Amino acid sequence: MAVNDDERGTEKGGRSTDSGHETATAARVQVSDIAKHYEGNEGPIRALEGVSFDVSDGEFVCLVGPSGCGKTTMFRIIAGLESATAGDVFLNDERVDGPTSDMGVVFQEYHLFPWRTVRGNVAFGLEKSDVAAEERRARVERLVELVGLEGFGDSYPKELSGGMKQRVAIARALAVDPDLLLMDEPFGAVDAQTREMLQTELLEIWRETGKTVLFVTHDVEEAVKLADRIVVMAKEPGRVREVIDVDLPRPRARSDAKFGRYYERVLGLIRGERGTPDV
Amino acid sequence: MATKTDVDDDIGGYINGSIPTVDPRRAILGSAGIAGFLTLWWAASLVQPTYVLPSPAAVGETFYAEAASGEMATAVGQSVRHWIPGAVIGTTLGVAAGVGLAWSSLADDISAPIVRTLRPVPPLALIGFAIAWFGINHAGAAFIIAVGAFWINFYAAYGGVEGVSEDLLDVARSLGVEGDFELLRSVVVPAASPEILTGIRTGIGRCWMLVVASEIFGVPGIGRRILRASNNLQVDVVIAYILVLSLLFLLVDVTFRAAQRRVLAWR
Repeated sequence: MAVNDDERGTEKGGRSTDSGHETATAARVQVSDIAKHYEGNEGPIRALEGVSFDVSDGEFVCLVGPSGCGKTTMFRIIAGLESATAGDVFLNDERVDGPTSDMGVVFQEYHLFPWRTVRGNVAFGLEKSDVAAEERRARVERLVELVGLEGFGDSYPKELSGGMKQRVAIARALAVDPDLLLMDEPFGAVDAQTREMLQTELLEIWRETGKTVLFVTHDVEEAVKLADRIVVMAKEPGRVREVIDVDLPRPRARSDAKFGRYYERVLGLIRGERGTPDV
Repeated sequence: MATKTDVDDDIGGYINGSIPTVDPRRAILGSAGIAGFLTLWWAASLVQPTYVLPSPAAVGETFYAEAASGEMATAVGQSVRHWIPGAVIGTTLGVAAGVGLAWSSLADDISAPIVRTLRPVPPLALIGFAIAWFGINHAGAAFIIAVGAFWINFYAAYGGVEGVSEDLLDVARSLGVEGDFELLRSVVVPAASPEILTGIRTGIGRCWMLVVASEIFGVPGIGRRILRASNNLQVDVVIAYILVLSLLFLLVDVTFRAAQRRVLAWR
């Protein structure tokens, strides 16, 4: 198994065409040599080992990997919700040492505040800020509209479908105007049709807002459909296997032959096949 | 969600199913139950002397006489003067302590031995302290009532806060909520509010029961009236005032329940 440094090498090689790009635009997120070890029942568990990658300003990056590769742990460490055993995460060159409203965090299970309406949920993060009440209301309305929930502003979460709940969660995360949208399998709990719709909408939101997006998923197709770059992880220990640039125009269609080749390549990497062909 | 407004359903909350506003079957059966009970009571009263069991009609007459003479209003007014402060203070402190100790493991660990020692002490065992600290007055009676309300609310709030999802706290933190007070205010207390409100409601009911006990040492009120009547073998008066307690309990419980339903409309 190649050590992580080699894989970083691969990544750099893969990105040689736009190496000037990295210095021109500040990397918004830098994940630097993260390790996470637990004490398990049968000795120490290395959930993550030497994980490094970065995400540039405005980029859409997907983190994919087999279950048990530590994706969610990585997500929680980046969000500042969990601490790493070693290594650092930087957001705009500042070390992340706890949760921050510079990141909008979206979870698979929505985690809406059930006692608040759709508007109340979206407004939650704004109530702590010094945004004036009038501007706050206007922003909430804009966001509710942005995620396509006009007319549901006064509904409680219990009255919404899974897809609608996740739209609320996205609007809530966007309300505090974060630099980064950090999402953990956000569409994993909704049906296939809704997922496809939400993916399209997320890309639109990404285009409209210009946010940087870091999106964790186990769904290879989803990653190829959405990402500018895919960070493929491997497990035992959880580490970066390879970083792949997805050079496909959007909207991307599964039926496209190139899409299929990216898909096969990422899937191969996840399954641990060696010597998978370049696209 | 069906709304529950049936009064029968509010008595002690025995029945927890969703019942439509007017259920003729339940109304008829309930009335039949009351009629049956009164008949049995009346039949039994025929073969017993009045000081053992007065007839329903005799109790009704006594109830009316007590109400007409103003004695009843006086007793209710007196009881309310320690029931309200006792319930309010006990509830407030109980909820605050329950939330605080469930939230702070430091405070919880420090207080655990004390809590476990004090918890089994029945409020009535504290009558000595009530007299010594407050005297034979409304404050003393309120103290006894407050102790009863305290524990019910303490455990309800404690359990509610323990059950608050860590994920909601993560979301709040990632949205810029910092510090214990802000997290408690914006997430923990609202998330635990169903349990807290159930505790308050149970506590209020318990306070009515404690009204009688708290007047045992001489504070005037409904309880004192019941105790005095008992000593004089005026069973009709005893039953009349038991009815008063039941009606007061029902009135407060139905009102609180309506408020609770509104506050928890999100559930």
